[in-house]
Amino acid sequence: MTTNQLDASQFNRDRHFETDIVIIGSGAGGGIAAEQLTQAGYKVLLLEEGAYYTRDNFVMEERWAYPNLYQEGAARKTLDKSIGILQGRTVGGSTTVNWTTSIRTPQPTLEYWQREFGLDFSNENDLTPFFEKAEQRLNIHQWPVPPNANNAKLQQGCEKLGWQYTVIKRNVNGCANLGYCGMGCPINAKQSMLVSTIPAALAQGATLISRLSVRKLHWQNDRITGVDAVPVDSHFQPRQDIHVSIVAKHYIVAAGAIGSPALLLRSKVPDPSGRLGKHTYLHPTVISGALFADDINGHSGAPQSIYSDQFVWPDTDNIPGYKLEVPPLHPVLMATKLIGTGAEHAALMQNFNQLQVVIALQRDGFHPQSQGGTVQLDQQQQPVLDYPISDYVWQGMREALLSMAELQFAAGAKQVLPIHHDAKLYNSWPEAKAAIAALPMENLRQTVVSAHVMGGCNMSAEPTKGVVNQDGRHHQLKNLSIFDGSILPTSLGANPQLTIYALVWRNCQHLLASLLPMAKS
Amino acid sequence: MDRRQFLISGIALGAAASLGVAGWHYSVQPNSDNRDWVLSAILPALLYDALPEDTTLAIAQLQRSKTAVADFIAFLPLSQQQELQQLFNLLAQRITELAFTGHLTTLSALSINQRLAILQQWRDSYLTTLQQAYHGLRELLYGAYYGQPEHWQPLAYTAPKFR
Repeated sequence: MTTNQLDASQFNRDRHFETDIVIIGSGAGGGIAAEQLTQAGYKVLLLEEGAYYTRDNFVMEERWAYPNLYQEGAARKTLDKSIGILQGRTVGGSTTVNWTTSIRTPQPTLEYWQREFGLDFSNENDLTPFFEKAEQRLNIHQWPVPPNANNAKLQQGCEKLGWQYTVIKRNVNGCANLGYCGMGCPINAKQSMLVSTIPAALAQGATLISRLSVRKLHWQNDRITGVDAVPVDSHFQPRQDIHVSIVAKHYIVAAGAIGSPALLLRSKVPDPSGRLGKHTYLHPTVISGALFADDINGHSGAPQSIYSDQFVWPDTDNIPGYKLEVPPLHPVLMATKLIGTGAEHAALMQNFNQLQVVIALQRDGFHPQSQGGTVQLDQQQQPVLDYPISDYVWQGMREALLSMAELQFAAGAKQVLPIHHDAKLYNSWPEAKAAIAALPMENLRQTVVSAHVMGGCNMSAEPTKGVVNQDGRHHQLKNLSIFDGSILPTSLGANPQLTIYALVWRNCQHLLASLLPMAKS
Repeated sequence: MDRRQFLISGIALGAAASLGVAGWHYSVQPNSDNRDWVLSAILPALLYDALPEDTTLAIAQLQRSKTAVADFIAFLPLSQQQELQQLFNLLAQRITELAFTGHLTTLSALSINQRLAILQQWRDSYLTTLQQAYHGLRELLYGAYYGQPEHWQPLAYTAPKFR
C-alpha cells in the first residue's frame, strides 16, 4: 500500500492530519470533488468508511458483496422495517455497486426546484456543460448491445402497448455484458469513482483513508474547525480505542443522503430552516415478477438497458408518477424478495431462470402528501431513516403494480406475481387486475425497496427553505460544502448518479473560484 | 411425520436439541442459546422443500445456513443486532409456549407444517413486532441459504468464474 492510501483499521495509535480540503465520503459526490480539487492544486484528503476493495476482490458472489460493499450488509431498513434500502459503503460509494444507469436530471424536476426552492439552472447556470463533462469523463454512452431478455420483455411490453421506452446510457468502457455490476465490476469496465476520479486524484497527490468513520464536525461561530473520526473494525463497526483528528481549510461532506445528515445531526450544526435530516426521498419502489415459457436468465447481461417513462409525469395529481425499469436477478436478491415460505417459495426459486422482474420507482417529493422521511440517530449515534408511506404514495404503488402486470402479460408472460404478501401467481391480465385492485396497500404486506436515497440537506436559494445554497455551500457555516445526493430538494424521477456528478462538478468550479485567495499548501 | 422430516427437524437442532421444549431461557444478553434454538426451529421448515433428497446433504445445508446467519449478523449495526437478539429471546419463548400447549416433549417433535403454521401466525399477527419478525427472519434466513453456491443446483444457476 503506497503512502497516500491509508487503511485506518491498521492505525495503532491516535493520528492527526492537516490538509487544504477534506472530503468525507468517496461516492459520486466525493469522487468527482477529489479529482477536481486535486487537479486545481489543492492538498486533498479523501475519507471513506468502507474498505478499499478493487477488481481483484470482486468475486461476483452476493454473500461476499453485500456485507462488504453495502451499508448494513444490504439489509438496511427504514425505522418500521417496511422499506429495504440498497446503498453502497466502500471506496467509490454506491457508484462501485450501482447498475450503471446514467440519466440527466429531468427538465420538469429542475422546473419544480425553481418554483419551490428558487433554484435556477438555466442560462449561465445551465447544467448541460457539466452533464457533457461527466459523460465524457465516465464514458457514458447509449448501450449498443441488444438488451438481455429481462430488459427485452420491458421493451416488448412497451411496444405492444404503445408506451414510451428509452435505451439506457451506461458508464462503462469495455463492458463484457456480465450482469454482476451490483457486486463490483470484476473487469474495471464500469466507470465508477473507484476506477476513474479516485485513482486520478491519488496519482496527483490526494490521500485516501479508508475504513474511517467520521463521527463529528467541530464548529465555532460560522466555521468548521475540525473533524473527529474513528477506525472501523472488520465488520465496519466504529471503534472506540483510536481517535483520528483532521484540520482543513475547507470541509466537504459527501457521505450520502443518510450519512451526511447524520454527521451534521451528530455535530449539532446550526439548522435555522429546520430541514436538516428532513425530506429524505427514496424513489420507493414496488416489484412485479412474471414467469415466461422461455428462459430469461436475468442474472446475465447488462442489468439495466431499457426504461419506460410512460407514467413518470402523469396528468393527474392523485399519484406521484413512476418510472419502470428492471433489476438484475441474483439468488439472494430474489430469494429475499419473493413471497411465501416452504413449498411455495421453493417452487418459485426453481423457476429462477424463467423469472422476469419489473420495478416501478415512485417519484416522491413533489406533492404535499409526499414529503419524504426523517433521518434519526440511534443509541450508538448511527442513522436510521423514518419514512412513513402516505396514502397518496400507496395509491401510486397500486397503479404501478397494475401497469407492470399489464406490461408483463402484453410481453407474453404466462403468469404474473405482484411482490405483495397477499398476492399469488395470476394467469391473466383480467385476473391480475381484479386481484391487485383488492390488495391491501399496507406496511409489511406490500414489499417496498429503494436503491436511491436523496435529500436531507436540501439546496435552496433562501436559507429559510434549505440547508445549502445552489452551489452546495452550507447556508450558515462558511467553510462547509455538501456535495452529494443529500442536497437534492426532491427525488429526481430518474436514477441519480449523473445528476450528482454534474451538480458536484459545477459546484467544484464555483468553490474553486471562491477559494482562490486561499493559499495552497 | 416421516423419517426424513424427523431427522432433519431433529438433527439440525444440534446441541440445542437436548434442551427440549424447556430450552428457552430468559435473557437480554447476546450470544445466548436462544438464537440457535429459534433457527433450529424455523430453518428446517422454511427450507424443507428446497433441501436435497439426501438427508445427510440436507442437514449439512442447514448447518451451513446457520453459520452464514451468524457470520452475517456481525455486519448489522449494533442497534439492529440488539433488536434481533431481543427478537430471538421473544420467539424462543413463544415457540416454547406453543410446544407446551401441544403437549410436546421436545422441539424436534414439532412437525414441519406446525412450524410453518407458527410462521404464518407471526406474518398475520396484530402485533407489529411479530410481523417484523416474520419478514426479518425470512430475509435473513433465505439470504443465508441462497447465498451459498452449494445450494444453487435446483436453480440451474452458476455464477461465472474469472479467476
